Amino acid sequence: MKQCVACGMPMKSPEDFAMGDLEKEYCRYCCRPDGTMQSYDEKLNSLTKFIVKTQGLDEKAANSAAKSMMAKLPAWKAE
Amino acid sequence: MTKDTIANIMSIESMSYKSLKEVNLMSETKRQIQKKITRKHLVEIAIKQFGENGIITTRTADIAKAAKVSHGTVFAHFSTQEELLISVIEEFGNRITQRIHELVNINSTLFEVLDAHITGLIEFEPFYTRLIIERRLLPESVSNTYIIIQSTISFHISIAAEKEIEQGTIKEIPIHLIYNTWIGLIHYYITNSDLFSPNGYVLKKYRNELLQHYMNLIKK
Repeated sequence: MKQCVACGMPMKSPEDFAMGDLEKEYCRYCCRPDGTMQSYDEKLNSLTKFIVKTQGLDEKAANSAAKSMMAKLPAWKAE
Repeated sequence: MTKDTIANIMSIESMSYKSLKEVNLMSETKRQIQKKITRKHLVEIAIKQFGENGIITTRTADIAKAAKVSHGTVFAHFSTQEELLISVIEEFGNRITQRIHELVNINSTLFEVLDAHITGLIEFEPFYTRLIIERRLLPESVSNTYIIIQSTISFHISIAAEKEIEQGTIKEIPIHLIYNTWIGLIHYYITNSDLFSPNGYVLKKYRNELLQHYMNLIKK
């Protein structure tokens, strides 16, 4: 099973892939409306917002966790 | 010495050199495989020891003893105690998030997500209990891994809850409170498991009661 290179989500069905495209290495949550992959800053920002929205954490704590999560993913290893 | 003899000797020498190199390569690979096996074994033993005896109180010497290796072997794989701890937490995080992803998908109902969450936690209950009790005393990277584990479940809860709020089957409650009310409930039982279930796994014992109660709270 493929894993999104940008957020680590396992991509099980076609709808999980960016634009439903099975050739893509990233998921529907990591692409821009035009289908291209989000940049590091865009992803860090959206991931932080996601943690705040779903867990209610302080933004600084959420940002630190998002950075550490991204550091382990293939798309951002060089950042 | 004839030309032929010299050629023969040279070819024998090059052959033995080649096979010597192959033997070296083989033992190198063997050593690497063995190293990986020992490392995996140490992480496995550490997860068990941390779960049984606590993360802070377990010493590297205890892990070495339980793994039946010398104390030095632990440090040949992890240069510091903190490095071992971080590797263990990361491995734990990978396993539990992988398991939750296996149990649910983006079409699961909220009840199915919560049920899967409990199933996943039961499989890792001893270590998870220590992690949530001791987290604030551990290095910052541990907290980050903890939030990442929680994000997997908060992601699935948010997708299912948003859908069901829209359908009108559950109350309009902010997503983080839907999540935190659930986590608050199960963490209360987990952190006090010695009082709720001194002889075994607390989540196994209270799973149905907690799930039903929580669903009744948020149902419209």
